[in-house]
Amino acid sequence: MKNALYLTCLFLLLGGCASTGGVTSFSNTGDTGNLHEKETRLWHEADGFDATIDRSGQLYENEQATAYLQSVMDRLYPEFKGKVHVKIYDSTQLNAFALPNGSIYFNIGLLARIENEAQLAAVLAHEAAHFIEKHSFKQRVRSKNAASFALSGIPFANLAAVSSISGFSRDLEREADAKGYVRLVKSGYNPHEAHKVFQHLADESRALGLEEPYFFSSHPRMVERIDEFKRLSARHEGEGRVGSKSYNSVVSPIRLDVLDKDIGQDRFSSVILVMEDSNLRRHYPPAGYFYLGEAYSRRDEKGDSEKALKAYKQAEKLSPNFSPTYLRLGMHYMKTGYKDKARSYFKRYLSVAPNDANDRAYVRQYLSSL
Amino acid sequence: MKNILALIVMAVLTSGCATTAYWTMTDDLNRVAQSKSFQMSVPEGWVRTTEPDTWEQLEVGDKLRTILLESMTVTRDGTSLHAITVTRRYSDNAFPTLKKKSLAGMLPIEAADLYVAELRKRNGLERLKVLSNKPAQVDEKQGFQLVMQYKNDDGLRVRVMSYGFVDETGFYTINYRAPYLYYYDRDHQDFTELVHSFKQLQGAHEPPPKLPKWVELFT
Repeated sequence: MKNALYLTCLFLLLGGCASTGGVTSFSNTGDTGNLHEKETRLWHEADGFDATIDRSGQLYENEQATAYLQSVMDRLYPEFKGKVHVKIYDSTQLNAFALPNGSIYFNIGLLARIENEAQLAAVLAHEAAHFIEKHSFKQRVRSKNAASFALSGIPFANLAAVSSISGFSRDLEREADAKGYVRLVKSGYNPHEAHKVFQHLADESRALGLEEPYFFSSHPRMVERIDEFKRLSARHEGEGRVGSKSYNSVVSPIRLDVLDKDIGQDRFSSVILVMEDSNLRRHYPPAGYFYLGEAYSRRDEKGDSEKALKAYKQAEKLSPNFSPTYLRLGMHYMKTGYKDKARSYFKRYLSVAPNDANDRAYVRQYLSSL
Repeated sequence: MKNILALIVMAVLTSGCATTAYWTMTDDLNRVAQSKSFQMSVPEGWVRTTEPDTWEQLEVGDKLRTILLESMTVTRDGTSLHAITVTRRYSDNAFPTLKKKSLAGMLPIEAADLYVAELRKRNGLERLKVLSNKPAQVDEKQGFQLVMQYKNDDGLRVRVMSYGFVDETGFYTINYRAPYLYYYDRDHQDFTELVHSFKQLQGAHEPPPKLPKWVELFT
């Protein structure tokens, strides 16, 4: 262990002396065929990471959303069309990351929180800038993190150390911010939206007591980043494309899915934060109230039972065709002895729920026992 | 280092007095696998442990915790490939990573939902899909039957069928896990027979054991 620490320190010290001179960025897809030998190895590693993610079912299957994200990327960087591939990653963490081979992963958690296409474009432009500016290769040349990650034993550790999975150094993050911002403006997006995605997520991280997610990791600090984006956008008087309608029509069902996954993974505070904040909630479908009810019901702290019932009732009112609400209300009234109400809700469940709904057999059993 | 020393000392101290569990082949004379709280009949040709596991270590939040339970495993081709695991969790630690207790009045659908949430907190099961969830009876108790599926890092589709029920003595599950390709269907009938043979024993009503002192050395 002691030796390993010495080794780490040595790598870090040596890493500080290395230079990234001579590493030139890509200017178009043609450049990507002309790689340094070490860079080729890095690409192979990234290809392996892509394959693992794909075969282990970690990609989020939504063709429409994937095509939409890719179209935004192609609008931002038309000269890299066919080389930068945007993929949706099935994780509710607020994150996005780029690999050295041009794969950009966008988590569904982050998609759900973003409000419009301009904010999406701000994140994509930033991540693509990491690829185009060869930040992974530059980071490997510097070798700053490679030694420490190599010792950690995690899969694709070396790749993680030199991709935006774990965040780049402060100056590389700044460069991606600056170059991404220029591209955002050039592509006609509203630059005043750029800082909002950072601000919005900084607020959420603070409210949930989370560490800053990797995408917003501490290089540079999030507050500094927000200020910089505000400063840059203040120079632009004109508006630009915001794309709220198109974004929300694609992402709306994903938002419900994220709420469902948050509940399934015991992250009640995240659901409560979103659905109790009128500003955040406005982008969510009304069935989101059902998940608010689930969050309170499963958290089960003092007063949560009443809050859950109120949320379920709100879901019933605003989203009358959403069947899971009727199951929960039926169960509530069955357990509290209101048999008539329970029967009524269970019957409504059976009339609204799809024929292959998982819980039909339970509901029939409960109805026969009432 | 301290932990390794403690482990060696404990292994030396306990090796002379504890019953050592071992894997044994099942044949006509050796069908019934029995723990304190339950027993079941193991299909011929499967191997089983002679003694139940009585604890497991889990990460709850950021801390490693030792949880008491009773668990017996049977397999035909090795546990890394497929296995049937019968587990009794004590009420106070029925859903340990969720920090939820089981309650005797809990509806089967509630227990099933909590169980799925509990499994999804385990490493590698974050994207566990529920294919079906319906009522079932286990040893004449109202329970659930879940069919779930996940993909491992090699892309292998693994299917899990779980029967479970809750009563005043805790939360019981009978799990069958196998690769969907070939193995799942091949041994499904054996699993069904094992589920039908499951019996709760009188020992289930005895007070749960206390966590041994040595546990503190490791957590």
